[in-house]
Amino acid sequence: MQHAVETQSLTRVFRPKKKKEGDIVTALDSVDLQIGRGELFGVLGPNGAGKTTLLKILSTLLLPTSGKAYVAGFDVEKDLMAVRERINMVSGGEISGYGLLTVRENLWMFSQFYGIKSKEANARIDELLRRFGLTEKAKAKVRTLSTGQRQKMNVIRGFVTNPEIVFLDEPTLGLDVNAARAVRDFVVDWIREDRGRTVLLTTHYMMEADELCDRIAIIDDGKILACDTPTNLKRMVKMNSTLTLSIAGLNEIDGFDTIPGLNSYSQTKDVESSTTKLRFVVEDESCVSDIISKVVAEGSKITSLQKTEPTLEDVFIKLVGRGLE
Amino acid sequence: MTESYLMRNLRAVRGRAYPRLIGSTREPSWFVFDVILPLFTIAGYAYVYKFLDARAELIGYVVLGGAMTAFWLNILWSMASQLYWEKEIGNLSLYLMAPISRMSVLAGMAVGGLFETTIQAAMTLAIGAIAFDVVFSLASPALLILVFVVTMIALYGMGMMFASLYLLLGREAYHLSALMMEPVYFASGFYFPVKQLGFWAAAGASVIPITLGLDALRQIIFPGGAEDAFLSLNTEIVLLAGLCVVFMILARYSLRYMEYLGKTTGRLTLRWQ
Amino acid sequence: MAVISNLKVFKDSAWLGWQMEANWTDPFLFLTYSIVKPIAGTLILVLMYMVVTGGETGNAFFSYMYVGNAMYMFVADVLFGVTWVIHDDREHYMTLKQVYIAPMNFYMYIMGRSAIKIAITTFGVLVTLIFGVMALNVNINLAAVDWPLLAAALVLGLGCICILGLALGGVSFLTAKHSIGINEGMAGVFYVLSGVVFPITILPTWAQPVSKVLPITYWMESVRRALEPEVMQELADTSGFDVTGMGGVSDLTMMLYLLASVAVFFVMSIGIFRVADNIARKKGKIDWTTAY
Repeated sequence: MQHAVETQSLTRVFRPKKKKEGDIVTALDSVDLQIGRGELFGVLGPNGAGKTTLLKILSTLLLPTSGKAYVAGFDVEKDLMAVRERINMVSGGEISGYGLLTVRENLWMFSQFYGIKSKEANARIDELLRRFGLTEKAKAKVRTLSTGQRQKMNVIRGFVTNPEIVFLDEPTLGLDVNAARAVRDFVVDWIREDRGRTVLLTTHYMMEADELCDRIAIIDDGKILACDTPTNLKRMVKMNSTLTLSIAGLNEIDGFDTIPGLNSYSQTKDVESSTTKLRFVVEDESCVSDIISKVVAEGSKITSLQKTEPTLEDVFIKLVGRGLE
Repeated sequence: MTESYLMRNLRAVRGRAYPRLIGSTREPSWFVFDVILPLFTIAGYAYVYKFLDARAELIGYVVLGGAMTAFWLNILWSMASQLYWEKEIGNLSLYLMAPISRMSVLAGMAVGGLFETTIQAAMTLAIGAIAFDVVFSLASPALLILVFVVTMIALYGMGMMFASLYLLLGREAYHLSALMMEPVYFASGFYFPVKQLGFWAAAGASVIPITLGLDALRQIIFPGGAEDAFLSLNTEIVLLAGLCVVFMILARYSLRYMEYLGKTTGRLTLRWQ
Repeated sequence: MAVISNLKVFKDSAWLGWQMEANWTDPFLFLTYSIVKPIAGTLILVLMYMVVTGGETGNAFFSYMYVGNAMYMFVADVLFGVTWVIHDDREHYMTLKQVYIAPMNFYMYIMGRSAIKIAITTFGVLVTLIFGVMALNVNINLAAVDWPLLAAALVLGLGCICILGLALGGVSFLTAKHSIGINEGMAGVFYVLSGVVFPITILPTWAQPVSKVLPITYWMESVRRALEPEVMQELADTSGFDVTGMGGVSDLTMMLYLLASVAVFFVMSIGIFRVADNIARKKGKIDWTTAY
């Protein structure tokens, strides 16, 4: 069966026009992905990992430097129109649209670019507005919407065309809890309604990926480091426990590498609470006492201590060697 | 091209024209800023001719030229460089992702803008004619409409070609638009008979459709227009028709090529270039 | 302290204005742009003149018209440059709200941002004048130029134009994107009524009193008297009457009028700006975008 999305050694390199503008950047490096129809597939990585670059190539906005990409079986370089008929994209923090138009008018306008008859378009718009609780805002000018309402409108824009494949590029970026929840719930319901639908979601929110995705690819520096279900990914650190310490102050502590039984660790400063969070992935629990002894020996005051089950962040730290800032 | 593809593109034209049309009604202040105030600049040129004791037709040319600047400015700022602003606010990537021809989006902008522009031009012509006692002599309204339509198609085709630059460039293209105001007013003879530039200069300027369009319109609506003409009316109509075809073809290929370059270099959706 | 702080704001915003105006292309293309654009604008008038006179440009009327048109670039471009700051920051870069809430003198910011436009326009005016003298026999005799009068006229006139631009900038808080045409419209008003390319005596009788109220009229006259006194004398001698309509006004009177205009417009413009700003804040228009 044809994949919804397939990439083969997909590479994208950005070269500056002039040397003084910066170095050559390899945004994607030989990315191989296969996403099946009906999947809600996540791409998880820090800022600058290459997530948006991947989506831009798949949505025909950017050409790869080398390699191939196929969407719904069509080559993104050669079969542009066939790809575009089957996709749509929603980005986080979008400011697209025209402030002078109403919500309905904006949505209707974009639906026209996909050849949807006005009657059908308006019916879809009505349904989607209802699902997102924006019915009263249908006649409101876009410039009067709050950030959350605007993003909901953008999400509706992405789905009103009823695409086969939707690319969601950090769609909950900057949204409050309720608005983000509404978007996530909708995406899950949407994909369940029709197993022919596929969603490719990029995010740097671990919880979002963990909760929503059937499979996740972890990406950093343009490379796919791992690709599996959330459960299987967490099993990669199954043998390891995670110890989380918070210490007072913003000083980092060196020298943990020499402690036997310690797999990896990260340190994150929380300026607001003036504490430093140390997270240790331990293979052998006997090293816990060594860790605590070292922290105390450095003169640091432990404010909290917690032992947790592996999370995607642990997986990420294991694979990348640092936390997701 | 299947019927469904054609219908989709026609819907796209309608869709993109809509914000322009609605914007005109929801922000009616354009009438003051784009119709009333520019009349002063036209009046300035008309009074220059009065100061020089020029013949009446020349003042008529100023009024006509002033009216037609509305279309040229619409090309430069509301069509070509509009893609630059669409890129800045994030709409461009949405248009480029849609399964439609780029020319449909631009055609939508053109059609939507034509409403405002035509009112602007008509009002300028009417008020200018009254204020400066311009005498028109319209022997053939059909010919006038033909010349106007052919000029507009060629002009907007040229505008689509310019618009393709904005897929690749950033502020360079914006400044290019700014550069094409006064030089084109000069080269195309907006305010004087273009043949005054000499044959070869006028011929070169005729690449810009509005040069021949203005010259042809003058021959049709002013009594002494034929004497100041660069080429005969029939020749100019044929050349304009040729420019229609040429610019539409160039626009299509230019848009494709520029989009390809933009996608290859990664500048297609790059903001603040 | 306030003066130093304001100067710093001016300096930093001028730097920003330079970045926006000048770094969009390589220096050669920028130079070409800065030369071609003003000369092309002037050549429109030159051709119009030659159509009527058959090519004769070495006379007082042509010099009168040419110099006026060249100096008018200050009016058009500086008005545009000052008004554009608000429009640009609001619609294109969407940084207006961040700048607006910063603890600095916002007027200084606008002036600084538009300072580069004045510099580029000055270059354009010089290029146009030099072109006129070398290629079109425009009569500017450097030995006869009244430099103190010219300096005073330029300073006061540019000050007046900048302040007017501030008022228009305030108005643009309240209007949509297309209203950037407001500055072109106002510049057009001056073009017709201020004796830029033809004497105000050509205007209908009812319009001439209006001309005599506008400060740009006095600015044009004083710049011409300073820059081309021989041309102005020749015009007076050959026509036998007060062809410019300003013959009865002395240099000192004109400077005083300009000074008074600067003061009056300063108060008016700040007032208009504050009212417009207040309304914009009440209606939430500081950070609205109006593209369509």
